[in-house]
This record gives sequence, C-alpha cells and structure tokens, in this order.
Amino acid sequence: MEQNIEKQGSFTGAKRYVLDEELAKIVNISMSLEMPLLLKGEPGTGKTMLAHAIAENLSMPLIVLNVKSNMKLIDALYQYDTLTRLNDSRFGDSTRDVSRIEDYIKMGKIGQAFTAQERTVLLIDEIDKADTDFQDDMLDVLDQMEFDIIEIDKTIRAKHRPVIVITSNAKKDLSDPFLGRCNFHHIAFPDPDMMRRIIRVHFPEIDTELMNNAIDTFYRLREIATVEKKPATRELVNWIRALSMDPDFKPKQLAKGEVPYLGVLFKKSQDYSVAANQIQGRKRF
Amino acid sequence: MFVDFFYKLRDAGIPVTLTAFLTLHRALQNGLIASLSDFYTASRAILVKSERYFDLFDQIFAHFFEGAEMPDIEGFELDEIAKALLDQWLSDPQSVADALGVDQAELQNLSPEELIEYFKERLKEQTERHDGGNRWIGTGGTSPVGHSGYHPEGLRVGGESRNKSAVKVANERRYKDYSRMGPLTQASMGEALKRLRNMVPSGPKDQVNVRESIYQTMKNAGEIEIVFDRRLKDRLKVILAIDNGGYSMDPYVPVIQTLFNYARSQFKELKTYFFHNTIYDTLWEDPARYRKPKPVAEFAGMDSDTRLILVGDASMAPYELMARDGSIYVHERSGKASIEQLRFLAETFPNNAWLNPVPARMWPYTRTINVIRQVFPMFELTIDGLEQAVDQLMAA
Repeated sequence: MEQNIEKQGSFTGAKRYVLDEELAKIVNISMSLEMPLLLKGEPGTGKTMLAHAIAENLSMPLIVLNVKSNMKLIDALYQYDTLTRLNDSRFGDSTRDVSRIEDYIKMGKIGQAFTAQERTVLLIDEIDKADTDFQDDMLDVLDQMEFDIIEIDKTIRAKHRPVIVITSNAKKDLSDPFLGRCNFHHIAFPDPDMMRRIIRVHFPEIDTELMNNAIDTFYRLREIATVEKKPATRELVNWIRALSMDPDFKPKQLAKGEVPYLGVLFKKSQDYSVAANQIQGRKRF
Repeated sequence: MFVDFFYKLRDAGIPVTLTAFLTLHRALQNGLIASLSDFYTASRAILVKSERYFDLFDQIFAHFFEGAEMPDIEGFELDEIAKALLDQWLSDPQSVADALGVDQAELQNLSPEELIEYFKERLKEQTERHDGGNRWIGTGGTSPVGHSGYHPEGLRVGGESRNKSAVKVANERRYKDYSRMGPLTQASMGEALKRLRNMVPSGPKDQVNVRESIYQTMKNAGEIEIVFDRRLKDRLKVILAIDNGGYSMDPYVPVIQTLFNYARSQFKELKTYFFHNTIYDTLWEDPARYRKPKPVAEFAGMDSDTRLILVGDASMAPYELMARDGSIYVHERSGKASIEQLRFLAETFPNNAWLNPVPARMWPYTRTINVIRQVFPMFELTIDGLEQAVDQLMAA
C-alpha cells in the first residue's frame, strides 16, 4: 500500500521509486478507464513522486500544475498576453503579427498537456489548495477534454488524453461531483519494512545497523503525539544522510537513545523542543 | 453483476454513486480485472472516494466475498449508552453501581475513559435484546438503566422525552454530525445568503484598472501607463454555532443540515461550533461535543468584525439559562450564568444573529426565547428570516 521517494534536487528516475503492486494496479485501471486518479495521504508519502514515476516508466513527458490558493482556472488553461501585444503594437519590432491575437495566446499547463504532440502525464498537485469553484470548473474541462479560448473563439481539444494524477493533502474536503469523476487512492504512511526498502533504494551502500537503528528511532519519534508536523520520509532520508556524513557518529548512539541532528527531523521550533524533551526524559530511565 | 454488493455498501453508509458503479463495470468489461484481488483494488479505487470509508469497505467486502462477520453496528449504540451511563455515574454513582450490580467503591477510582471502557464491557455481556425485564438494559423495563422505564431512580437511555425541556437528559446524541449527512444545498437558501459577503481587495495587483489606465495615459501625453489593482475577494469571517443536542432540536435537523452544507461551501472563513441548548463555558468544535472544547473566554481576542450566527431553538428550562450552575453538564461550573456568556459573545461580535427553527408565532410562549431575544436579534429559520438576518449581519 505504500511507496515512497525522496525529492532530492531533481527527480532521478523511477529506479528510486518503490512502487507497490496495489497502487500499480490502480494506476493501470485509471489509465485504461481514462479517469483522473486522485491521491490523498499525509505529506511525505510520495503522492507527487508517483506522477514522476509514471512519466518515467512510460517515457511520457510530465507536465506539473502546482495549484495555488488564488489560482483561477483560466491561468491553468491559457493566457492572453495583452501587454506584449500592446508593446508590439507600439514599437513594431517583434516577429509576431500584432493583428493575430493567436500569437499572443500562451498555453497554461492544462493547455500544454492538451496541445502536446504526444501523450503526457499531467500532475495537478495539491488541488485542495484552490477553492471549490476552481475544482468544479477544472473538472468540466478534464471531462470534456476541451476548452474555449474566448478571445479568438477557438476550441482547444486534447490531441491525446493525458494521464491525469491529482494529489490532495486533505486540507479541505473535495466536492462530491469532483470525487465522482476520479478514482481514489489513499496512500498510508509506509510501515518499517517498506521504509527499509525505501532507504535501501536511496542508500544502496548503507550499513544495516545504522539503517535499523535510524528507522527504529524514526518511528519512535513519530509516536510523539503532540508535535504538529511529524517527520516524514523526506526528513528521514536527509537525517540518514546527515548521520552517515558525520565521521564521529556511531550507530550505537541511536540505540542508547541519543538523537543527533534532531533539527533535521523536526523543523518547527515548538516540535523541536517537545521532541528534545521527550528524548531527554527517555534517556534518564 | 454485483448489484447486491453495491447495495450492501450503500446500506452500510458508504456514499457509492451509480456512476461509479457503472465505471466499475466498464473496468470489468475492459478486461482489467482478472482476479478477486484485482476486483478489490479496482472497486475500492472506483467506488470509495474517501479513506474514512476504507475500513468499512474492507469489512463489507470481506463479508460479501468471504462470508466474514458483518461489521458491528451495535458498537455505535453501545458507545452512546456507555456515555449516558458515565453522565449518570457522575451525578448519581450509587444508582449506576446498583444497576450494574457492583460496588460503588470499585468504580470510584477509575478515570472517565476507563469507566466508559468498563461500561462497554459490561454492556457487551448482555447479548440479547432485553425488553420488559427487570435487570440489565433494554426498553420498557423496571431496571434503572434503559429507556421509557419507570424505575423511580431510573435514568433514561434513549427513547422519547416526556417533556421538551428534559432536565439532565442522560441520553445525548453526541454523534450527530450535520456536515456529513443531509440533502444537497438548496438554491433558495443560497439566494438568501448570497448577500452575506464582504468584498475587500486582496492578493497581488493583477487586475488592470481600465479607467485609471486611460486617465494616466492621457496625462502622460499618450505614453501608455497601465494601472493595476488588487482583486476583490470575499473575506468575511463567520462563526456558526449550532445547537445539536437534545430532542427539542430533532425536528429541525434537515433544515439545519441544509444551512450548514451551504455555509460550508459558501464561506471561506467559517468556524463551526456546537452547543447544547445554550452556551456555558465552552463551545465545541466537534459535533459530539466531547473532544475539542473551545472556552468562550478565548473568543475575546478574535476579530470583532466576525459575524456570529447562532442556530438553536432557544428552548430550555429557565434555570439552565439564568442560574449560575445551570449547565446540565456537571463539568461546566465556572459560576457564570449562561445568559452572561451569551451577552459576552454578543458584545464581542456586534454583528450577530440568532436563527431559530421554531416558528416565530410560537416564540412568546417560551420564556427562554424571550430572554435570549433581548440579547441577540432573533430570526426565524426560513428564507424570509434568513434575509432579515443577513440585513442585520451586514448592517455595519
């Protein structure tokens, strides 16, 4: 049920993505039914990376639409660059034809996915940030696979139906009609076994003792109930990287209850002090 | 195919739509599903749209395809009875101890959570339904625990209340969550509430102000000067406090559901709280009024521009409103009468309104309604009443 990947700089390939069978099935079904796949789950469970992995695996180009809270649907479809046109009309030194509005239409992310020459993977990231109007309007576009550019009265139809992956952090509930048109999967947080596989993917050379101790400590720290943001896979990977870079560090320290570089795991000052207190308390007993 | 399965899911309360069911069949036709485990994965991804229902789905699936036990719906009821027992225990330990046939002292040391667990254990021991007997819990019996009974010291667990302002109602329907169930938003209600908004400029300056641009361009002798403005956005903050306790509110559940659903989709900054009958020291963020208390005093620091909307029938025993220890909950004893708390809220949020589902012509007959009307402007929970309330809320 879980899979995970670390987002370190740029994506380095599906080789670094641990995909489980169930999710693979769901992806295949969604692709064959031509329905968007909605992924929910807490941060750090690899929702975004799934789209990267699909694109990698099927060697399709990936187009990412990062949803923002004040986004309008039109921004995702196309943009009519009136300012450039105005500028061109005044100075007349561009290669564009000022009388052709079409020259000044720029495709947004959804528009790019529709007009692409080959089938693409369209990732709509963190859809829950936008308001419900955006979601419902976008749904129509994705359902019809077409939209109108009103300025030039032209309809853009998708040349190839993109593979659509939508992620949500479940900050807000999505509307029922929206849910109705998607397939749904909830990615649970990886269990320790899965986590070991993920870590192996990231650090093929890692010392087993270090890995086991680090993962044990990590899951113990995640159990602290009062922290606001629990450390996720990304934090664990960075932490292990930090640990393995420290020449003075011995895996035994973890077993003794010491947690060096706590700041890599807990990034909020309040969480940090809560976690530090807990660790202190544990060491005493 | 699998029509029974579809209805089983629906009966269990998973909102499965017909469209989704048809999609599942499309998947079957496409030959995507080769085994039962494929079917499990596919049907869950297609039919179930929230992880809230995953567990329930698993149970139904197991039942349907492997003949496992049906999920225990009784557990829910058990919770309620156990909660009621706890309340009773807190006010009258002796009768509960007697009813369960245990020593009072034995239970004395347990924490409320442990007590609930204990009660649940005991309740589970009773395996058959029990009507008209004289021991244990059931209906119509003479046991002190149960409902519609007539044990002199008995407490009521569910069943019909004889009097609307039932004092110390033991059975609370804590899990009534108006947000999940309920009909779709009514357009008419939307119309009435549409005017409840507060447009203020916010966000980046990304909208061309045509008039101003022309003016500035002219001033510049034709050199183009473009002026940008911020977009107008609705930034109205609303607090909605709903009375979701007690039988007196039951008849009004559908209309409040509609209101609530609408409010949730309409207002960007909406906080919802729950209370029972009236407000004492705390409001509750969870419909069960159990886990997430919010002390009334904390509202003092909030933006006084916030619109406060209370929904309730305002009908209760007068002392619940006026007396210092009027709360029907034992743990709410700050020494402030509820009416004082209401006045405090009304002063903190000057733009307020009380929506009452009771028809206005009935108001004069209930004393507490009259008292509350002196604190909050009260409106009928009808389309007309809503419009008046919106006028009141927007009058600055």
